[in-house]
Amino acid sequence: MLNKKSILRIDDLTLDDVAKVMETADSFTSISKREIKKVPTLRGKTVVNLFFEPSTRTKTSFEVAAKRLSADMINFAASSSSLKKGESIMDTLRTILAMQVNLIVIRHSDSGTVKMVDDNTPVPVINAGDGKHQHPTQALLDLYAIRSRFEKFEGLRVAFVGDFLDSRVARSGTRLFEKMGMDVSLVAPSMLIPEDHSDLNVYSSIDDVIEDIDVLYMLRMQFERQDRKFYPSVREYNRFLSLDSKRLARMKKNSIVMHPGPVNRGIEISDEVMGDRESPYDNILIEEQVTGGVAVRMALLYLILG
Amino acid sequence: MDSNMYNKILIKNGSIVDAQKGNIYRGDLYIKDGIIEDIKDVIEIDNKDITIIDAGGLTIMAGLVDMHVHLRDPGLEDRETIESGARAALAGGITSMVCMPNTSPVLDSPSLIKYVIDRGKNTGCSIYPVAAMTAGLEGKNITGMGLLSEAGAIGFSDDGKAVADSKLMFEIMRYSKQFGKPLILHEEVRSFSEHGLMHEGKYSTKLGLEGISRLSDDLMIGRDIVLAGVSGARIHITHISTSGAVEMIRKAKTDGIDITCDVTAHHLFFNDSHLESFDTNLKVKPPIRDVRDQKALIEGVADGTIDAIVSDHAPHLDTGKNTTFKLAEFGTIGLETLLAASYTILCRNKKQGFEKVARLLGSGPAEIVGIDGGIIRKGMRADIAVADLEAGYTVKKEDFRSRSKNSAFIGQKLYGKIIYTISNGKIVYESGLN
Repeated sequence: MLNKKSILRIDDLTLDDVAKVMETADSFTSISKREIKKVPTLRGKTVVNLFFEPSTRTKTSFEVAAKRLSADMINFAASSSSLKKGESIMDTLRTILAMQVNLIVIRHSDSGTVKMVDDNTPVPVINAGDGKHQHPTQALLDLYAIRSRFEKFEGLRVAFVGDFLDSRVARSGTRLFEKMGMDVSLVAPSMLIPEDHSDLNVYSSIDDVIEDIDVLYMLRMQFERQDRKFYPSVREYNRFLSLDSKRLARMKKNSIVMHPGPVNRGIEISDEVMGDRESPYDNILIEEQVTGGVAVRMALLYLILG
Repeated sequence: MDSNMYNKILIKNGSIVDAQKGNIYRGDLYIKDGIIEDIKDVIEIDNKDITIIDAGGLTIMAGLVDMHVHLRDPGLEDRETIESGARAALAGGITSMVCMPNTSPVLDSPSLIKYVIDRGKNTGCSIYPVAAMTAGLEGKNITGMGLLSEAGAIGFSDDGKAVADSKLMFEIMRYSKQFGKPLILHEEVRSFSEHGLMHEGKYSTKLGLEGISRLSDDLMIGRDIVLAGVSGARIHITHISTSGAVEMIRKAKTDGIDITCDVTAHHLFFNDSHLESFDTNLKVKPPIRDVRDQKALIEGVADGTIDAIVSDHAPHLDTGKNTTFKLAEFGTIGLETLLAASYTILCRNKKQGFEKVARLLGSGPAEIVGIDGGIIRKGMRADIAVADLEAGYTVKKEDFRSRSKNSAFIGQKLYGKIIYTISNGKIVYESGLN
């Protein structure tokens, strides 16, 4: 059991909750390594993936997690064209609730919408990403990946690199990591950080932190976005914010590199660091994040519904 | 009941607020044929055809003047009409209101100004239209300010937008001087505000909502102060939201610029930390800013930099607000909470004198737009609000008379209840009755 029925943002979780999620995920990690990757724990429970924004990784991860626990998983494809307005979100919600589901996993492109849904439903809700606000399960799975490589969280030095302004991953991650006693900083140019960032240590180049940090967290940069016109170019990005093999070589022993995926090769991380089938470097944790993500989401479903 | 009996009203034992002189005194007030006939310590009249109101423990003030209201009529009558807006105003003790021209069609022609004035008659509330400064609020061509003035426009505004073209704004200022009407300026730089949903600061960062920088307001206010200094125009900056605005206007006044300003009750009452609720009723323009700005606005009221408190009453349908924060419309209704919100934040919480606040809700705005109102004196038109300032209540959606219910104050505990509203010597609202 967690202290709240729903997981909307990192602040909803107590330290005790976080510890429970990590420990429970450990037991589910071992299930996922078995030949038969399924337990009957949530048989008879119905979980809905309600995604108002395209997603492959998160949606699939929740689906795999639910199925390994024997819950029935429904993917509700909410086409964005017919759902331009909020009242239709509420109508969609009414329809889903009428089917007597047990839990709703939801993603929406507008910040705050998951809270609106939670305020209007008796069943638990898991936020799978709302706008630029929060993506708490991503932060938990990131923490789980860090835990696999370090003895303790206190004092670990973490740097988030890139587009903080638009990143729900970074908003959740910074809050969770600080909560766990890590020293969190940000590497970003002025146009990719908020005007008021008084809570954060900010550096302008990856070179300022590369030799001192334990965790390098690369954020996704989307140059194709309309409001991206203020960042000069990919070349400029590479000069100050990208990870290539030269910078990788300067990192501390036992330090790690993370990314929420999908990686824009040649922008956040160079091709050679990413490798062909897998990265030639063992401190690139991107696939481990995904694998651990299933276990963490199984743990959340179990702790809420079990 | 004989309607004649409403022609004579005696209000006894109330605390009468003289906002102009800045004092509050005990007394009786006698109204006859629409006029304040007498004010004295004790008035005794032996007449059966008279309505007597025992105002013991109650406050008697001039009917409120709200100089920034959106009535949505013509064009968007499903949100508000002139009649429904007037009913809401009277329930809020407001007997005079100034309505903005961003209707559909825009109030940019004399016939539309006359339409609003005609529809406003017989509503019990005095309604004064403001005309657009530019045709269709498009910021391209100056309106016929002379003919609009003659039709009854009491000022000019492109409210909802600022005129981006600085040369055009300068010409509007110069021409407006010929008619002696104020320019009511909504200050916003689009390139800073266009994607924004709330104040850009600590909370927009935390909530992942796009921010609107203070620069959006401050740059445009700075420009218009410079233009007003050169042109000599009379300008009024409406709904100021930033500490920078308070500072710039304070200085401009000492520099001799012909400038006044107002603030909304919600910008005084809230700060951006309240947005953590994601309550779409708090999505307004300019955005509700941080606690430092809120403090500066309250100080601006205290030191006289701010000349009026307004509602910026902006009715929206449920479908416009019951949606995601990003898609929700900007604006809150405010006619029915104007007095209570102002009293609660300024007098109860910040211990400012009520006589000063009453001035900003009465004669302050009346002087800016050049209308009668806001004064309780023998021989004046009897527009009066009788309020119980100590009466506390929690604001409920179902209690509003406005056709729209999008109030930022829903769920807040406010003090200050209107008991009677008297307009033109007639009781037009009585608490507990509809």
